[in-house]
Amino acid sequence: MNRKRSRSGVSILELEIVAAKIRRNVLEICRGQGGYAAQGVALADIAATLYFDEMRPDGKGWFFDRFILSNGHDAIMTYGALAESGHYEMEDLKTINADGSWVDQSPIEGQPGFEITAGSLGQGPSQAAGLAWALRRQGSNARVHCLFSDGELQEGNVWEGAMFAGHQRLSNLCYIVDNNDMQASGHTRKIMSVEPVDEKFEAFGFKTRRIQGTSVADLLDAFEDARATTDKPFAMICDTKPWDGIDCLQKAQPLAHFTAKDAVKWDEGIAEIDAEIERLEAERTQ
Amino acid sequence: MSEILTKLEAADFINRSFKPLPRSYGDALVEAAKADSRIVALCADLVPPTETDRFRDELPHRFENVGIAEANMIGIAGGMARSGEIPFCHSFCAFIVKRALDQITMQAAYPKLPIKLVGFLPGVATILGVSHQAIEDVAILRAVPEMAIFEPSGPEYHAAMVRLALDWDGPVYLRMKRPETPPPPFEPRTLSIGKGVIRREGGDMTIISAGLCVAESLAAATTLGEEGIDARVVDMASIKPLDAALVLESAASSGAIITAENHSIVGGLGSAVAEVLADEGIGLPFKRIGVQDRFCEGGTTPYLMNQFGIDATAIADAARQVMRRKG
Ligand SMILES: Cc1ncc(C[n+]2csc(CCOP(=O)(O)OP(=O)(O)O)c2C)c(N)n1
Ligand SMILES: [Mg+2]
Repeated sequence: MNRKRSRSGVSILELEIVAAKIRRNVLEICRGQGGYAAQGVALADIAATLYFDEMRPDGKGWFFDRFILSNGHDAIMTYGALAESGHYEMEDLKTINADGSWVDQSPIEGQPGFEITAGSLGQGPSQAAGLAWALRRQGSNARVHCLFSDGELQEGNVWEGAMFAGHQRLSNLCYIVDNNDMQASGHTRKIMSVEPVDEKFEAFGFKTRRIQGTSVADLLDAFEDARATTDKPFAMICDTKPWDGIDCLQKAQPLAHFTAKDAVKWDEGIAEIDAEIERLEAERTQ
Repeated sequence: MSEILTKLEAADFINRSFKPLPRSYGDALVEAAKADSRIVALCADLVPPTETDRFRDELPHRFENVGIAEANMIGIAGGMARSGEIPFCHSFCAFIVKRALDQITMQAAYPKLPIKLVGFLPGVATILGVSHQAIEDVAILRAVPEMAIFEPSGPEYHAAMVRLALDWDGPVYLRMKRPETPPPPFEPRTLSIGKGVIRREGGDMTIISAGLCVAESLAAATTLGEEGIDARVVDMASIKPLDAALVLESAASSGAIITAENHSIVGGLGSAVAEVLADEGIGLPFKRIGVQDRFCEGGTTPYLMNQFGIDATAIADAARQVMRRKG
């Protein structure tokens, strides 16, 4: 047990329980009309670590540190997490995709928890760099996190943002790359490989860390490393599998990019997560 | 296996029924490519939603999925076209136009190369909201010299799009809407460059429309007919070059015009028609139906068309107003 401690003092086990509950929320939100369930499930550990440990509270019920979601449809991760933190009601989130609902599948700025209007892929990294630059100039010590996906790395705009961040040595900036080897029409490696992702960001002036995106311990280490890096921006390359751990999603692979309503047995997936939550909670009481 | 994959993939973005959808455009492109070896297809990660899955599977050496890199796709197409190929480039309307506009002007339009831009999800018609909506794409590309713009009003005209694109000597923009659910059986129909199609005759007024708004205009005309207003409905699938002669003839014969489009009222079909009328010094009762110079949200297509005032009800209301002004 020589693992690094979390930033806030919360235990790894607690964060794993939160992550499992986020996964559950994701399936509950998606089951009604389908959704980006595979992405949300795979990103639950990143969300738990980010929202429940790494980002400091602002004392007014939200966060002092900043989060830029570049990949609009990964909002399902944020929804799952902000339902767990009490910022959103599950009843509201279940109206996602319904005509007239204010909960958008690809959220717009102004919706709580979303700083930019994403959805046109590859635009977050530049905006996060601009935000980090402005915060540094204004003397703020808030950190900026930006999540984007491997498919977005195919847009030149991502690398233009990284070039600026590296040149400016924006050490208050942390890119989180969801390297899930999936995009709309198949496996990223087959369609248009973006590897080696870590070496590319290093060449652009970043310190990088390549981790298992579903390991809370790895994530805590990487966030600590990012904070300790004071002379350059940081990129954590999170290898994830979009259907990890949930059998019904795994069966819908390889191309359940959008998990259609009838493509999986939602009850089975939720039962699996409930068993996992029970197991983790039993561990806590030991 | 590939059948299942295609279904799963198409469930993303377009298919709301999870049943097989027609691929009229994609099939016509494969047939054309088999007859003309210069035709190649490029796609920016949206293979089934742009109906290019069969091209990928049957003509793999002439198909490239370039990844999520629209500007790069147009650049690559420029190089290919300069070497004698005819590249058809595929993405959603919003991305193929707006993420690659400078490349389109410099590498397709100015050199007048046969680069065919094929966009799906026109106008407001998507659940994904503002980022995936293209309500200004026609306005943007109408202002680009050498560019032709064609928009089919339904799946029966999708195959014809390939022919139009090939017949135009230069860059083309096809603005397509794949049906979200399986449509009733249909017979393919042809179209000509620079020609509108009179879909319904009527002498009291003319509704000039394109794309999804044509069906709405026909429905509005039926309602109006029951009220004693006899409206002509023109399907202006050739938005650029526009059928100016038909616009002028409709003005002369019916004395009132409204336009209806799944696009902003700024710079699209309505503006194009107004320009023709103004240039000829024609003043008449006139109204543009379209998105009222504002951003929209996501939702089902009928909901959005109603919400943003481009459905049959909105068109019929505008028609009644125009008729009152006609007196
Ligand atoms: C500029 C742009 N081009 C195309 C799309 C359509 N699109 C939406 S999601 C997607 C695939 C995304 O893959 P990836 O970025 O790896 O995200 P993942 O689903 O793996 O989270 C595509 C091509 C888009 N939203 N934006
Ligand atoms: Mg991906």
